[in-house]
Amino acid sequence: MIQFTHVFKRYPGGFDALRNINLQVQRGEMAFITGHSGAGKSTLLKLITAIERPSRGEAVVNGRNLLRMPRRRIPYFRREIGVVFQDHKLLFDRTVYDNVALPLVVTGADQNEIPRRVRAALEKVGLLSKEKMYPVTLSGGEQQRVGIARAVVNKPPLLLADEPTGNLDAALSDEILDLFLDFHNHGVTVLIATHDWRLINRARKRVLELNHAELVRDSGVAA
Amino acid sequence: MIRNYLLRHAQVFFFSLGQLTRTPVATFLTIAVIGITLALPASLYVGIVNVQRLANGWEDNGQISLFLKQDVTAAATEKLADKIRRMPGVAWVNYISRDAALAEFKKLSGFGDALNALERNPLPAVLVVHPSAKHADPDKLQALLRELNRNREVDIAQLDLDWVRRLHAMLDLAQQAVLILATGLAVAVLLIIGNTIRLAVLNRREEIEITKLIGGTNAFIRRPFLYSGTLQGLLGAVFAWLLVGFGMLLLSDPIHRLAGLYGSRFELENLGFLATLALIGTGGLLGWLGSRLAVGRHLRVIEPH
Repeated sequence: MIQFTHVFKRYPGGFDALRNINLQVQRGEMAFITGHSGAGKSTLLKLITAIERPSRGEAVVNGRNLLRMPRRRIPYFRREIGVVFQDHKLLFDRTVYDNVALPLVVTGADQNEIPRRVRAALEKVGLLSKEKMYPVTLSGGEQQRVGIARAVVNKPPLLLADEPTGNLDAALSDEILDLFLDFHNHGVTVLIATHDWRLINRARKRVLELNHAELVRDSGVAA
Repeated sequence: MIRNYLLRHAQVFFFSLGQLTRTPVATFLTIAVIGITLALPASLYVGIVNVQRLANGWEDNGQISLFLKQDVTAAATEKLADKIRRMPGVAWVNYISRDAALAEFKKLSGFGDALNALERNPLPAVLVVHPSAKHADPDKLQALLRELNRNREVDIAQLDLDWVRRLHAMLDLAQQAVLILATGLAVAVLLIIGNTIRLAVLNRREEIEITKLIGGTNAFIRRPFLYSGTLQGLLGAVFAWLLVGFGMLLLSDPIHRLAGLYGSRFELENLGFLATLALIGTGGLLGWLGSRLAVGRHLRVIEPH
C-alpha cells in the first residue's frame, strides 16, 4: 500500500524534514508513526496524501507514484485515502450529516446512496442521533468521531490519522483507538501518527519511529 | 448518470442562490453597481439608435432648396420650375410660393397674427428640387447644385444633404465612442465581480481547503463561485435593463411634447428584443468570466497546508 525508497523531503532554505526514509506498509496492515515534535511525522503524512511532493526518492502509495503523478490526478488519488485530523477540520456552518456527506457529494455519489452511507458511517462512530446537530454543540471527542465518520464514509482502502487523540482524555482516546482497530479488522490499511505511547502500547501494532527526520526504528509487522 | 449530473448542477445553483440571499445587502450593492455600470453604455446605445431612427426619416430627401430673389415674379418662377423639371436627374420640383411660405411659417412658428403686422412678406419663394434616385450620390448632387445655382433668379441654392451626412458621421463617431466606453465598463464589471468572488473565496478558504483534502476537483470547487458570479452578472444586467427602461419612461413625455412641437410623431424606442438579450447575455458572460478569473487565481494559492 505504501512503499518509500530513499525518500528525502527538503524545504526551501535547506531544512531537511525527512532524510532517506525507507519503509513499506502492506495492504491491510496497521502501523503507528511516532517521534518527537518536528521529527517529521506530519511531513510523512503530507507526502502520503500528496499535499507535498518528495524532493528525492521513490514513493508509491496505493499504486501511484507520488513524484510523477500529474496535478489533475491528485483529487482522484485523495479519494482513496481517508484522513482524520487532529483539529478535526469540520465545517461549522453545516450539520453533522452534511459534514459526513461531503466526501460523497464531492465524488458525485449517487444521490439515493448518500443518506444510507452517511447514516452507516455515523452509526459506526455512535453519533447517528446527532446527525442534525452542528459541530459546535458537540464535545471534542464527538467532533473527532464526526471527523472519523467523514474519513471512512467513502470506504477508502487507506486511513490516515494525524494525532487523532491529541486533545482527548484516556477513556475517549481508547474509544477512538477501538474504532481504528475495528476498521483495521475490516481490511482497511490504517496509519496513525501519534506520540501517545499509552495508545501505541495498548494497540500492540507495528511502530515506526522518526527522530530528526530519519526513521530510527521499525518494530516490524505486528510487534 | 446525466440525471445525476444535472441534479448536482441544480443543487449548486440553488446553493449559490441561497448564499446570495443570505447576504441581501451586499448582494444588492454588487448587483446595483454592475447594473449602473452596464446601464451607462446601454442607455447611450438607446440614445444613438433613436437619433439614427430620427435621421433615417430625413435621409432620402437629398433635396435642394432654391431660395429665389425677392423680385422674381410668380410667372418667372413657374417658368423656371418648368425648366428645372426638364433637367436630367430631377424627379420633381415643389414650388412654395411666397404666400404659401408665409402661411406655413405662421402655422409652425407660433407667431401667428404677429406676422400680420409686417408691411410685406419677407419670405422668398422656394423651389424644392428632388433629385431622382439615380442622382442621389453626393458628387452628382453637387454638380446639380452648381448648375441650378447658375440660374439668375436663384438667390441661394442649398443642398440639404450636408448636415444629414455630418449627423451620420457624428453618429458613427458616437457609436465608436460608446463601443470604447462599453469595453472599459465591461472591464470594470469584470473587476467588480472578480473582487466580490475573491472575497467569497477568502471567506470560504477553510471549506475549500477541506474539500481539496477529501478529493474535490478544482472544477467542483469552482462551480458554486461560477454560479454565484454568473447570477450576479445576470441580475446586474436585468437591473441595468430596468434602469434604462425607467429612464425612458421619464423621458418619453418630454420627448413626446418636443416632437409634437416639430409636428412629428416620433416616439422613443426602448432596447429591442435582441439588444436586451445581448445586454443580459453580456452581464452573465462577464459574471462568469470575472469569477472564473478570480477563482482560478485563488485556487492555486489555497493549497492544503
